[in-house]
Amino acid sequence: MVDDRGTPRPGTGLLDHLTATSLDEDYAHVSERRAAAGSSSRGRPGTAALVVLAVFGVLVATAALQTARNAQQSASSRESLVRQVNAGNADLAQRRTDLADLRHEVSVLQSQQLAATSEGRALGQQLDRLGVVTGAAATRGPGIQVVVDDAPHPSSDKELVQAGDLQKLVNGLWLVGAEAISINGQRLTALSPIRDAAGAITVNFRSLTAPYTVSAIGDRKSMGARLLDTAGGQTWLTLESTFGMKFDVESKDTMVLPAARRTSLRYAHMPESTQPPHRDGSGVGGGQ
Amino acid sequence: MIAAIGLLVGVLLGLLLQPTVPVWLDPYLPIAVVAALDAVFGALRAFLDGIFDDKVFVVSFVSNVLIAALIVYLGDKLGVGGQLSTGVIVVLGIRIFSNVAAIRRHVFHA
Repeated sequence: MVDDRGTPRPGTGLLDHLTATSLDEDYAHVSERRAAAGSSSRGRPGTAALVVLAVFGVLVATAALQTARNAQQSASSRESLVRQVNAGNADLAQRRTDLADLRHEVSVLQSQQLAATSEGRALGQQLDRLGVVTGAAATRGPGIQVVVDDAPHPSSDKELVQAGDLQKLVNGLWLVGAEAISINGQRLTALSPIRDAAGAITVNFRSLTAPYTVSAIGDRKSMGARLLDTAGGQTWLTLESTFGMKFDVESKDTMVLPAARRTSLRYAHMPESTQPPHRDGSGVGGGQ
Repeated sequence: MIAAIGLLVGVLLGLLLQPTVPVWLDPYLPIAVVAALDAVFGALRAFLDGIFDDKVFVVSFVSNVLIAALIVYLGDKLGVGGQLSTGVIVVLGIRIFSNVAAIRRHVFHA
């Protein structure tokens, strides 16, 4: 494959060439020339070799030191990143606590303000009623609790609880007069989506895991029986008997449903008794 | 003997002085060390073969280091620095291995 000069013939492998020419050819050339010139002194390292080897030593030591230094640097920068993350997390937690405190303060002030006048008290009662229906306020009361779950040993998607099944159940509960509903602690509002997302059911954009506990506040004596007459109840009875899914209805004396995570004001209008602000009116020059 | 002294002096100097490497030179230092290692093992083999020459050693050392660093530098500029470094390391590694094998044959006569 390789001739004695170490030159590869066409078609020989790169590895063969590398192995054959691993020693610099110059050494052979120079020694040949020296042999031809007659000075047959065996090559010994001299000052130049000493200097080069010293340079090599410096190089090795420097590279080793540099690598060690870099490792130290990356470790310390990682530590400082971890510190920053921890500090950021603590800051975030603090701000969340502040937010909760402030919200509480606002609601206390609001109820104080409303309790001051009779008109305000009526408004406050209306707010409380609306809070129950819209999910803006945490609600306590009697009702029924429906626990649903996948079949014990599911072999196909049909034996798993789907978002559509939960939707039917929830619609059935609204139909039989539920005032407030929550699923696994997620309070439902008029805008709460119940959806399938990546193999899990999400309510209010939070992933839930089975079993699903649907709590509904309302008339606990009649709701359970009437639920079974609705389309949602019928669907679930079928699911229970056909696929062996869990469907337990239980009445509860008192349940506490949390407030919805986030309610945003979408629509507002001025009370009729107040003067419309001048920007709505045509009288541009009319100040108040 | 003189070689061992030179090496020792160099390592001690490096450890004592702790020269700081400029940032732009940092990526080329390891590859330069591998190239230098190749030249040193080549020299050792030539010494055992009895054909060692000072001048050839100096030239091969310097050119090895410079060319290895240059190839990697060029690769960095072309965006294939990692691949070229790998190539250089592979070639130099194979040369080092076969040189060490020759040295081993000299030392142990096996």
